[in-house]
Amino acid sequence: MPGIIKGLIVTLKHVLQIGDRPTVTVQYPYERMKLAPRFRGLHAVDEDACIGCGICDTNCPNSSIKIVKHGTRWYPEVNIGMCMFCGYCVDVCPMNAMKMTGNYELADYTRESLVYGPDKLLFKREVKQ
Amino acid sequence: MTNAYELIINILTALGVYDMILDMFKPSGTEFVLKLIIVVIELAVLFAFVLVTVMFLTWMERKVVAMVQSRYGPMVTGPRGLLQPVMDGVKLIGKEDIVPAKADKFVFNLAPYLAFVPALLVFIPLPFGESLIISDLRVGLLYIIAISALTPISILLAGWASNNKYTLMGAMRAVAQDISYTIPLALAAITVVMFTGSLSTVDIVSAQSGTWFGIIPKWFIFIQPLGFLLFLIASIAEMGRIPFDFQESESELVAGFFTEYSGMKFAMYFLAEYAHLFAVSGILVTIFLGGWNGPVLPGIPVVITSLVYFLLKTYAVVFFAMWLRDTVPRMRIDQLLNIGWKIMIPLALLNLLVTGFLITAGVI
Amino acid sequence: MQTDELLINMGPVHPSTHGVLRFKLRMDGEIIKDCQLVLGYLHRGTEKLGEMKTYQQVLPYTDRLDYISAFPNNYCYVKAIEELAGIEVPLRAEYIRVLVMELNRIVNHIVSIGSLLMDLGAATMIMWGFREREKALQLFEMLCGARMTFNYIKPGGVREDLPEGFIPKLNEFLEEMEMRIKDYEQLINSNEIFLMRMNGIGVISAKDAINHGLTGPTLRGSGVNHDLRKLEPYSIYHDLDFKACSRPEGDSYARYMVRIDEMWESLHILRQVVDTMPEAKVISTSKYGVAPMTGVPSTVSTYFPRIFTPPAGEVYTRIEAPKGELGFYIASDGSTKPYRVKIRSPSFCNLTALSGMVKGLKIPDLIAAFGTMDIVLGDVDR
Ligand code: SF4
Ligand code: SF4
Repeated sequence: MPGIIKGLIVTLKHVLQIGDRPTVTVQYPYERMKLAPRFRGLHAVDEDACIGCGICDTNCPNSSIKIVKHGTRWYPEVNIGMCMFCGYCVDVCPMNAMKMTGNYELADYTRESLVYGPDKLLFKREVKQ
Repeated sequence: MTNAYELIINILTALGVYDMILDMFKPSGTEFVLKLIIVVIELAVLFAFVLVTVMFLTWMERKVVAMVQSRYGPMVTGPRGLLQPVMDGVKLIGKEDIVPAKADKFVFNLAPYLAFVPALLVFIPLPFGESLIISDLRVGLLYIIAISALTPISILLAGWASNNKYTLMGAMRAVAQDISYTIPLALAAITVVMFTGSLSTVDIVSAQSGTWFGIIPKWFIFIQPLGFLLFLIASIAEMGRIPFDFQESESELVAGFFTEYSGMKFAMYFLAEYAHLFAVSGILVTIFLGGWNGPVLPGIPVVITSLVYFLLKTYAVVFFAMWLRDTVPRMRIDQLLNIGWKIMIPLALLNLLVTGFLITAGVI
Repeated sequence: MQTDELLINMGPVHPSTHGVLRFKLRMDGEIIKDCQLVLGYLHRGTEKLGEMKTYQQVLPYTDRLDYISAFPNNYCYVKAIEELAGIEVPLRAEYIRVLVMELNRIVNHIVSIGSLLMDLGAATMIMWGFREREKALQLFEMLCGARMTFNYIKPGGVREDLPEGFIPKLNEFLEEMEMRIKDYEQLINSNEIFLMRMNGIGVISAKDAINHGLTGPTLRGSGVNHDLRKLEPYSIYHDLDFKACSRPEGDSYARYMVRIDEMWESLHILRQVVDTMPEAKVISTSKYGVAPMTGVPSTVSTYFPRIFTPPAGEVYTRIEAPKGELGFYIASDGSTKPYRVKIRSPSFCNLTALSGMVKGLKIPDLIAAFGTMDIVLGDVDR
């Protein structure tokens, strides 16, 4: 009985929020938590820097990258359904063209829409004036 | 005024419409129809009250759990998630009603209603306030204990008819538990009856009016602390809540006896469970915590203040049950039975004996 | 009385089998006469994959073995490679490794205790546990960008140095954690119902425990003070002051208490690591080193040994993972891919003792004993 009463006291402290026991959850779709800058989410490829060398392709453990033609140049295409967000493609890129963004809401209805082609991945680095 | 029927008639009389209505029925000699209508209204109000209470309780349960666990709980539907139970109900109605192929269909379909009806019936002799009682039965307490003892039948039927090993084990546990805990429950209640000399709930409540030395209310909890404790533990076991929720014990038996239920029938069990929670808390308040007694406030009709006192006390007990649930783990069924038969029943008997001696000796 | 035997299939989809484990129980009423474990529902062939991928590529797969505490997996695999190829690791990297591994140990024990309590029907503890775990996961996210599958410890060092603001946040966490563990202890330790459920349940003697090959808190709960951090100090553990926690009883409560004690010890270790962490580089510059990445790619391209060929040979390393002794055996034939990768996973070896432990007990006891074994199915089936 004393043990249970001790437990009841500590749970009551939480109900009344005595002494640094605040509500901590976040109302997810309405508010979001801040991501760390290093967060490994959806990829992004620098349009100008990428040389289409395919090193990211050969080093990807899951072979989820394919080099495809986009316009006149070759760019990686990432199949998010197979990707495990290990970050190797970022590490190995000789041109530092690949990076990972904070986009983590990647659920989708079809497998096809999980393949992110260059049209969705490419970004242009802002040129410093 | 002794019960809600007379209360309604009194109100109608005060409004000056009762004679008018009665005159409408008198010529044809059908006053009993009027009686019937009033009773139906009474019961409808009770039913609506129970439903709303149950919905509120499910919301409250979630909120209490959330508060204990540093969460918000439901927040989206309605102000602070207050309409969440409505959405849950809509969702449950929309679910497919699955009956297992090998189940005993008739019994399977019958069992949820059998669970819900006793949970409603218990409310009949429960005094919600001064004269707010459907019927002041002379055997009120006995009636309540007898009716609550009907629940295991429904559970057993459900567990057996589902034709599933988990449900069967859940049902067996529930029956064993209910049988062994109705006895200390009744024994603890009897000590109170020894003071009042009546099984009527109204008599029990009125025996607890007044105070000692002007401050301590004359509640039976102060005369019978051990009885109160036994009754509390036994009634939590009766409700089938953690730490005694063996009939469900979701981590062992998936969902216990209602594993196979879905949709509306599942909702029935849900309703029954919370109705039972409220009823048992109300009974506890009636027997040990002074029922609707409380300081009389001048200017406000006693019907209203008594209702408020009753609800306040009952919700306090309900909160305690929820709070306890969030604190303790589940016991093991054999440990529970051991405690029930080896500790609680002897203690209850001892309590009865001592109380009897003291009453005979005229000490209390 | 003549009674029929009841055959119950618990799992693979069951609330308290912590994943996709399946028990085949032969029951006499509520009493377990025989308990058979059926494994393999989560088998992903990690060991075979190890033979197909290059040394670097195998590394992220080790995150997915014991996904509750992935850093020790990372570390053990990397340590094997380092021993194989003779890579030197800078001191600061070792400090960071120990830091994240001990943090991970706390996270693991929180989850373990939380899910144990949830199996016993008290859902509060796991919610509190996840509240603190979230703080730790945010630290991990700051550090390596992932919350559970880190891929952070690399041969020759770690992927990136500690980010700015990491140490203050860690200190905050350590401070908070102290109060939280006290809360946990107040809630659980002396709760009579919990004691009733745990004391004398799932007892395994020291001799049986050793014979079954149990390791980690499960073994130390039986009174065998076997902690690789003490016995074969790896990394910087020989410099740290801590004690291996053990309890003599060998029952579920002892195993639970060992975990609580270890959380305190880990906090103690973390404080020392933070206080004595040297300022230096975090990556080896030796032949096989990995150049550090600094956040979002810089303009300088980084050196990365894409073709990594360790000398032929074989190596077995073992470390004290939160769940027990984790071992990696790697055989190399001098090519870019391992010839064989064998994982000695603590969960799998600990699980073998379960069916002997629960004979004659009841289903709720099976749940309780199983909860204190601290199993992750990803680690069992690999
Ligand atoms: S992203 Fe980098 S590695 Fe991949 S193709 Fe482009 S330049 Fe090569
Ligand atoms: S993050 Fe890893 S798995 Fe995903 S595309 Fe890059 S290398 Fe492949």
